[in-house]
Amino acid sequence: MPKRALPALTHLQYLVLGVLRSEEQPGRVLRQALASYGVRRSGPAFYQLMARMERARLVEGWYEQVTVGDQAVTERRYRITRDGTRQWSEAHAFYEELARLPARVRWSDA
Amino acid sequence: MRSGWIERLGRLLPEEIGRDLFQPALADLHYELARRRGRAISRLSRLRLRLWFGASALWLLADCVRLMSIDRLSRRFTAPPSPMQAPRKEWLTMFAIDLRHALRLFQREPAFSASVVLTLALGIGANTALFALVQAVLLRPLPYADGDRLVLVKHRDVRSGLSKQDIAIGDFVDLKARQQSFEAFAGYSGFQAPLVGAGEPLRVQGATFTPEAFGVLGLQPAMGRTFQAADAIEGAAPVVIVSYELWRTTLGSDPLILSRSIQLGTTRRLVVGVAPPGFHFPPGAPTDVIVPAMVPATAPAVRSAGWIYAIARLKAGVPLARAEADVAAISEQFEHEFPQQNQGSRYYAETLRDGLVGDTRRPLLMLLASAGFVLLIACVNVGNLLLARSLARQAEMAMRLALGAGRWRLVAQTLTEGLVLALAGGAVGVLVAWQTAPTLASLMPQPSRIPGLDRVDLNPAVLAFSLGASIVAAMVFSLVACLGLMRESARDALQVQRRTTMTGGARRAASLLVAAEIALAVVLLIGAGLTLRSFASLIAVDPGFTADGVLTVQFGLPVGRYTDQPARTAAYRQMFDTLAQLPEVETVGAAAVTPLTGNNWTAPLVRPEHPLAAGQRPPEVGWQAASGGYFRALQIPLRDGRLFDARDSGAAPPVVIVSDSIAERYFPGENPVGKRIQLGESTAEIVGRVGDIRRASLSDAPRADLYFPFERQNGNGITLFIRTTGDPLLAFPAIRAAVRQVEPNALLFEARTLSDIAAQSAAASRLAMRLLGGFALIALALAGVGIYGVMSYSVRRRTRELGTRLALGASRRDIVWLVMRQAGIIAGAGLVAGTVAGLAAARALSSMLYGVPPWDPPALLAAGAVLTVTALAASYFPARRASRVDPAMTLASE
Repeated sequence: MPKRALPALTHLQYLVLGVLRSEEQPGRVLRQALASYGVRRSGPAFYQLMARMERARLVEGWYEQVTVGDQAVTERRYRITRDGTRQWSEAHAFYEELARLPARVRWSDA
Repeated sequence: MRSGWIERLGRLLPEEIGRDLFQPALADLHYELARRRGRAISRLSRLRLRLWFGASALWLLADCVRLMSIDRLSRRFTAPPSPMQAPRKEWLTMFAIDLRHALRLFQREPAFSASVVLTLALGIGANTALFALVQAVLLRPLPYADGDRLVLVKHRDVRSGLSKQDIAIGDFVDLKARQQSFEAFAGYSGFQAPLVGAGEPLRVQGATFTPEAFGVLGLQPAMGRTFQAADAIEGAAPVVIVSYELWRTTLGSDPLILSRSIQLGTTRRLVVGVAPPGFHFPPGAPTDVIVPAMVPATAPAVRSAGWIYAIARLKAGVPLARAEADVAAISEQFEHEFPQQNQGSRYYAETLRDGLVGDTRRPLLMLLASAGFVLLIACVNVGNLLLARSLARQAEMAMRLALGAGRWRLVAQTLTEGLVLALAGGAVGVLVAWQTAPTLASLMPQPSRIPGLDRVDLNPAVLAFSLGASIVAAMVFSLVACLGLMRESARDALQVQRRTTMTGGARRAASLLVAAEIALAVVLLIGAGLTLRSFASLIAVDPGFTADGVLTVQFGLPVGRYTDQPARTAAYRQMFDTLAQLPEVETVGAAAVTPLTGNNWTAPLVRPEHPLAAGQRPPEVGWQAASGGYFRALQIPLRDGRLFDARDSGAAPPVVIVSDSIAERYFPGENPVGKRIQLGESTAEIVGRVGDIRRASLSDAPRADLYFPFERQNGNGITLFIRTTGDPLLAFPAIRAAVRQVEPNALLFEARTLSDIAAQSAAASRLAMRLLGGFALIALALAGVGIYGVMSYSVRRRTRELGTRLALGASRRDIVWLVMRQAGIIAGAGLVAGTVAGLAAARALSSMLYGVPPWDPPALLAAGAVLTVTALAASYFPARRASRVDPAMTLASE
């Protein structure tokens, strides 16, 4: 049996990268996406997660100015990196492989 | 919308946390603010938005600190110690070092420490004492099982605005049958009766309970049983449950009490149970005996044949709002089905706690908020003192910064110093509260009727509050003191240490804080001014009678001897005649209702010549049974006709007396004397017209009152009103002796002067005035000290400038003006902000004010004037010192 490895991503990271795979997003949208899966995190806690992902070179973040009503405000936006895309794909393949397994697997010859 | 302050506070965070966590989260908050701002059109919604943003930003900051702590702790346990970093035990070690340093500082500057501790003790003490009251009255559980589910059902007359607890027996029966929200619905009322046994009869306080009341209150007797349905039907054998205390004392802990009978009034009752120790209902009121309330199973034909109070237990999970809707719906049915009794009458439910606490909740919370203001002012003052002290410690701080301490370290040190001062202030504050809380409780109006006031103490919850207040105070004033540290780099600090002055930012912050302090003081001054004016209006009210020199005494004839009306009337007449002979007595009267005690008893008023249309409910007017002597004793003016006398007793035709308001409202343009009113099936002649009086309370508008002759409506218990020639209380022994001569077994108790009762009616207003006045004085003194401190440092900072001005020809008066103008600007800003805030706060006070609008110009002007004088006085001394600067010496020293 070939040697398998667990994905390096956590569920949250997998979720965030999944949202970012199609296009870049502001942090608050990512937070909403997490919230829709029941992951309710405070602003600082969410950005702590994003900062760690940035440090792990899974995403890139930058500030951008946007206009809300008559006011210009800044927001932090994120895009997925090449590393991030690769790791997400590996994790995805892992889960897909798991999903393809038959209901009863014989893991041992014993 | 400016929010620079939160960015500045954010700079206190370590750089990494600030950059990674705080900044992007704050950006999102700004985004949300901008989005909501577009929808906030009104001023109020913008204010709410600002408050929301401020609270969210602070929450965000706190969350960053939380995450930082978790992060550091996890690193401590997972990462190997780095030789480049301080050991991870540093938090605890540093705190221990800071604590030791703070304690040394506390000892080294005893005068400074004492002034800070005393300032804080005033604020924390006032808050703790008031919280002890609030906790005892509003937060502590009621002494009944699951007491928060107990509700009282009352009704309000929409025409008169009067609320009543007594429910007509017909309505009670139907309410009980139709309601859906309560798991149990019971009736009760109170009574007094003599307990007759060996020796002197004993006056006992009793309650009548329907059998369901025990289930509603969760009452399990200590001995015996509760009432059963068979005990509460007409003709059942009379039974009684005695209180545990009565059983232990008067009944001598008789082990066979359950087989004994006691004589209660005219009835002998079998004791079937002993209540558990300490049981009272309502709480605080003595409940010596409980007898069954006789309520018919179906509503009687005459629905108002009797009355009872209703108490119920909400079904589990049913909110009060649903019960209110339920009761309101039944109320509408009643109005439709029984318009003659229920037109304009609305039933409603309120929690037992609200019913017991009554109007006390709002003043209590208002006073707690005022005490919070005082603490805030004290914190600002202490913050300013610490800020000023940092002048002397700039060299130390500069050196620490230069040696590599981060701003966070200095902030932590300042916080620890603040914590030591605040905890010391809190400890002294607890002592202050320990002394003042019971006094405050005794000052509350009608303390015996408010549950919990007899149990005001400094329990663990109150002490925890005090500790919390101390810690919050430490945070607040330490943050104020930290303002000076936030912008300083080591280089700047080392440069400024030569100047021994505050930085510009710190100075501006200090001025701003003093302005805020003044604003808070103005709010309290306006509140104090309004309550003072309200109290003055209240005690200046003419109640319509003369309370001075009148003694009121509860009087009871012996049970079983005067069973019919003529016998009682004759006994009372003989009593009055005997008392009138006393040299101490000027006039004697009797009545059923004592004025200014909140009584709301009413009677329907119908004129026979103006019969009501079918289905119409007659108007209700105040009910009173009084003797002619009552009007003379209270000096209620007789406008026309005559007072009641011996002609009105016995079989004489029924007569009544009306008050001015009845004459004006129901006999416009007519003389009511000689006219008749409907009394059931018969009519009564109006024989006199008297002046209006304030019956329920001093703040209650005079009502239309209908008087019935005491000679025809007297019972075994009445209230005597005796106008005396001297001190009323000194006359009591002679009065008692005279009464005992006529009837040795008569009961005389609760001798009080009518002036005392009138004073009690204004007790809530007096308490608010005293406390708010006290808080305002403290606030004023603290604001004065604040202005003095800031101006003193300002003068020190500008010594060279002032010396130069003097050298260039400025007069000393110019210098005084210069300094006082600066103080004037600070005070003016505070005054304007405080007046605006005070006007908003006064609206919350409006329900407690009598005869004074919340925008009362004299109160506003007085607050402004007092504050201005204080600010001028506080800034004059630094200004005078500035004018005495010696220009030669100043310039030479520079």
